[in-house]
Amino acid sequence: MRRIDALGVISELGADLPVVATCAATSRELAAVADRPNHLYLLDSMGLTTSVGTGLALACAGSPVSHVITVDGDGSLLMNLGALATAGFLAPAPLLVVLLDNGVYASTGNIPTQAARIDLGAVAAACGLNVAAAGTPEELRAGLSAMLGAPGPHLLHVRIEPGNEPGTPLLLDDPVVLGDRFRTWLTARLEGAAR
Amino acid sequence: MSLPVRRRAAVVSALRELDCDFVAYVPSNSIADIITGLEDADGRTTVFPVSREEEAVGVVGALPLAGRFGAIVMQDNGFGNALTALTTFALAYHLPLLIVANTRGGLGEYNSMIHSVSEPVPALLRASGIPVFGLDRRTGPEDWHGVVAEAGRHARMTHRPVVVLMEFFDTAKGDAA
Repeated sequence: MRRIDALGVISELGADLPVVATCAATSRELAAVADRPNHLYLLDSMGLTTSVGTGLALACAGSPVSHVITVDGDGSLLMNLGALATAGFLAPAPLLVVLLDNGVYASTGNIPTQAARIDLGAVAAACGLNVAAAGTPEELRAGLSAMLGAPGPHLLHVRIEPGNEPGTPLLLDDPVVLGDRFRTWLTARLEGAAR
Repeated sequence: MSLPVRRRAAVVSALRELDCDFVAYVPSNSIADIITGLEDADGRTTVFPVSREEEAVGVVGALPLAGRFGAIVMQDNGFGNALTALTTFALAYHLPLLIVANTRGGLGEYNSMIHSVSEPVPALLRASGIPVFGLDRRTGPEDWHGVVAEAGRHARMTHRPVVVLMEFFDTAKGDAA
């Protein structure tokens, strides 16, 4: 499964949920699949995706925003592996990490990560997250649907092919604009629920 | 009650006054009373540990995107870890965030190695565009409370991370950090 195919499934099932995407090619490809206000693109915040997803999940806990879909990569997660410990410690129910694992730093020359030899799903499970695995678009759709139907924290470990989608445009928007678009979308849902 | 103890209590009081939704911490002996003081608060603030400082910036920095606000309690030697997260996330996305950190590079610091990272911290932060305010033995608990509270309001009003560096040492009076 190519990353862009996985992002197509995630974008479709997460159309009404906050979706946080890790930096570089993953954010660019998600924006190419669908560019919507519910997407938060972390343009260059290396290793921060699962932490940001955890913060948003803490803020959304107990609200009608049932899940925060957090699209991380193996390289990004390995830069901040402690994020899994904090996610497991805090255990915010809306947290749903979709880990797109291709075993390489695809955005920086397909250099191998440690995930080529270790199982990040097992690490997440050891930290207390509910973990499932997927290797095809059908398995991703089924696994993500199941997790969206139950409180988390979840991590769906998705094996994808190395490489980036050729011809995907750069994301050149100001992060302040992208962040404010996302904030406006999310707070409207949280404030609407509070009324 | 010694001055350092009263100053720490003043910081706790200011953080409570700011209505922080969440406080993440990476501990230090000097700020242990602040962390436990917040844990003993009225239940409005949730206080939790993180493994490294950049992780705290990710978790707490994300809160304003959901209309919430938080703070980080840490040592200043952790700014080396946190700088990329602070600049590429909190600063780049204009996210308000209050950081209160005890200093390990000033007067009275016993660890000769830790000065290497802690002394340049104010210059590193200012060069990165992050406002820094300092507290030390020259002022009392009332000022410490006021500066922390104002720094939190400053973060919200200016939509950016703001740092308060707290120097607890006062060796002349025999007060340990």
